[in-house]
Amino acid sequence: MKLLWLQKITCNGNAHSFLNYPNLTEWMEDFEWVYHPLLPSTYSLKEIQSDIKECDILMIEGAIDREDSLFLELFYRYANEAKYILTLGTCATFGGIFAQAKDSIKGLHFDKENRLDEFGKFWQKSISLPGCPLQPQVLAGVLNAIKEGISIPLDKMHRPKYYYAYTVHNGCTRNEYFEYKIDEHRFGELEGCMFYEHGCQGTYTHNSCNKILWNSVNSKTRAGQPCMGCSEPNFPDDDLWRTKKNMGIPAKLPTGVPKRAYLSLAGVAKAFKIDRFYHPLMEDESE
Amino acid sequence: MIDTSKKEQKRSLIINGALKLFATKGFYATTIPQIAKFIGMSSGNLYNYFSSKELLAQEILKYISAHLAKEIRKINDSSLSSQEKIKAIVKIYFNTAQSQPEMIDFFLRVYLSNREVFRKGCEGMICVNEFVTEIMIFFDEAVAKGELKNQDFFSAFGLFMGYLGGMVFLNGEEVLNKRLDEYIDDISTNIYNALKSD
Amino acid sequence: MSRIRVDLIEKIEGVAEVKYHIKDNRVDFAQIAFFDSRYIENILTGRVPLDALAITPRVCGICGHAHLIATVRALESATGCRVSKKAQTIREITLSLELLQNHFKWFYLSIYPLILNGANRVDGALEPSRVISEAIALIAGQYPHNSYAIVGGISTDITPIDIFELKDRLKYITKLFNKYIIDTDISEFSRCDKLEMMLSKSGDLPLIMQKILNNGWQSLGQSYDRFIVFGDSGIFKKGKSVSTRYQEHLDMRYIEEFKTPNSEAISIKYRGKFYETGPLARAMIMKRSLVKEAHRRYKDSLYTRILARVCEMPLLIQYIYDLIDTIDYSQPSWIDYKEFKQSCSGVGAVEAARGSLIHKIDIKEGKIIEYKIITPTQWNLGNSNKSNPSTAQKALIGNRADAPLELIFKSFDVCSVCTVK
Repeated sequence: MKLLWLQKITCNGNAHSFLNYPNLTEWMEDFEWVYHPLLPSTYSLKEIQSDIKECDILMIEGAIDREDSLFLELFYRYANEAKYILTLGTCATFGGIFAQAKDSIKGLHFDKENRLDEFGKFWQKSISLPGCPLQPQVLAGVLNAIKEGISIPLDKMHRPKYYYAYTVHNGCTRNEYFEYKIDEHRFGELEGCMFYEHGCQGTYTHNSCNKILWNSVNSKTRAGQPCMGCSEPNFPDDDLWRTKKNMGIPAKLPTGVPKRAYLSLAGVAKAFKIDRFYHPLMEDESE
Repeated sequence: MIDTSKKEQKRSLIINGALKLFATKGFYATTIPQIAKFIGMSSGNLYNYFSSKELLAQEILKYISAHLAKEIRKINDSSLSSQEKIKAIVKIYFNTAQSQPEMIDFFLRVYLSNREVFRKGCEGMICVNEFVTEIMIFFDEAVAKGELKNQDFFSAFGLFMGYLGGMVFLNGEEVLNKRLDEYIDDISTNIYNALKSD
Repeated sequence: MSRIRVDLIEKIEGVAEVKYHIKDNRVDFAQIAFFDSRYIENILTGRVPLDALAITPRVCGICGHAHLIATVRALESATGCRVSKKAQTIREITLSLELLQNHFKWFYLSIYPLILNGANRVDGALEPSRVISEAIALIAGQYPHNSYAIVGGISTDITPIDIFELKDRLKYITKLFNKYIIDTDISEFSRCDKLEMMLSKSGDLPLIMQKILNNGWQSLGQSYDRFIVFGDSGIFKKGKSVSTRYQEHLDMRYIEEFKTPNSEAISIKYRGKFYETGPLARAMIMKRSLVKEAHRRYKDSLYTRILARVCEMPLLIQYIYDLIDTIDYSQPSWIDYKEFKQSCSGVGAVEAARGSLIHKIDIKEGKIIEYKIITPTQWNLGNSNKSNPSTAQKALIGNRADAPLELIFKSFDVCSVCTVK
């Protein structure tokens, strides 16, 4: 299976993140890099630019400046050729950080959450893989599924459900503090949930960060950083370290949970001050 | 087989009767036999429904909370502006205080005055959760629309509910110059002015 | 006879273009261009200061952690917030791990194939990179792109069990260093001052250094012999070195930026002069014995530059071991600063893999009004005119047209994305 990895306005983070896939050498035995920005490839970028090479899957990393006609021409050539087009990371999918610089910079099929028609004829063969960066297991898994001819269930933004049907909240080690509405959280501690005060977007961010652990060992929220929603269409929002609230009520609620349901449950949870959650995990237990 | 709707009716009868007695005589001066007598049932039978006087008082509180919540929810679901919603909420509160004074009186004279009765079973605001939830939804939407100023929930909630409770109390003490409903306009305006966005 | 040759330089965290002006079969002038500006500085303007902690790591997929540390230092210098020794130590550990990882990647993905006629040894990059990423993630949550270094310390508490896991990985990384780079004890290698001794060992370092000698490339790529280091922590020392004369005093006010024609990059000078930054600069200022020996023979050539970078690896490994032993777990990981000053400004300098990285922040009424990033590639690979070429331009000019120009260029380790930040 021939893979072509093209980059535009990017930090290279998805390419580097992919290098961390645990069995990359073995995985690569079944694939050929027509071009990869870091790994040995069959052709040089110059050769890719000057001639049409065969490719099964076109992968785009980085946001696309619509004023960049040279890149667009290159993209069309290979997009017509490819059986699948993958947008790797949030920039290529939704525009991401760099789209905030200029109006003409956008994701391939999206400008934040708005679907664009521009490359509509490629939509049916496109798969969205947002994340800043993308987890290596997600990319390796999707490519494996394509190679094996297994159909991948997609959501309406064409994100593979195997990875994006979950929220970042699923599997976070700080979950109990969310469930029992312990709104005190201090940085530098093992305890506490960042949802109530410190901007954690884990409950409404579609990704598998706490299901497939990062680098096989950890996640940002486990390590006390609020999820910044880096795989969501509107990433990066403003004021990322603070929860936006209306009269103390979180402005954004867990995916699919109606406000009334959330507030009722939170009210009940808050009513019971459960002692355990107010003590450091490492503190001596009193008799 | 127990007829659940009949059981519900009985429950509701007990709650309404007890509510009237608690609200007028206070929690401690009211006894279970008095309540039973008031609604024409035996004390033993009443205990089948509520195992203690404390539990009965807590159920009453939830009942009042649910009643007010239902009314406020209608307002929340309407397309009124936040200013109009404030007026509608004030109206419901005062109308309830006039037509069913025992509801508000119970809240002020039993719930707020005999906290020990509610400590176990009504932790935090759990028994008034439905009512508080609707007020939260009202505030949240009003702030999201930019009509009210963003601030701490309790500073806004205290201003709103403390003000209404205070007026009902004064009304009960018969010191007001006008009927309670005649204050609706002024008080709604005052609340709106205090909470509106800059 | 003169002609123009345009080379597209790939696999350097993006691409660059070098336009060679060739006269009588020699490079008469070389123009360096980078593309695809990303305007990170503009994107940060108007945001609340803490947002920078989430955004600047995304400047770069390979050295994003250095950007995070530079940001947190800039914010702390602006606000005067305190940080515990423990948090500082842990930040040093993760930053050093990133440097180490970048060195492995550069050696195997950029340099190795160029010297060995296109041969590849990708595992030499992949295996250490993955293990180092895991080591960083144990503490920082993930790699790349975390924001665990926050104003006042670090985001979570660290327990000894996290550090045990990290230490076991460090042992494994040491073994990989011996397996791939050079098969000699790291402390012995750190003390080594004889090139012949290095060359007599087995491993890819002696292999490629010998190959450079065999090809007769050892003196290519010399430049001004002027070095600068702004980051001052751990195993690095601040200062500048001009023809081996060291001077400690540096003043950031002397840094000038200028826009260059036909490139989207901005070049950097210090007091009107171009300087080289990076591992060679750090070794020259610290007077590392083996690098000094290479410099004595081949000056600031590609040979010395490549050697200096690899020589940093055992030092970093040892440094991380040493740091681990100094962690006092009883100290707080984060110190509450209560409130932030609403108007202030600060600077954060850090030694990234490729050299000095500087972040400057100006805050007014709680918002960023100006954010400035100066990256190592801007120092080394500026684009200037023929009468006053940048460090890399000078290293390229004068070579034969068939010289290993791409290797000379890449000996600086180019980070294209950081340049058009």
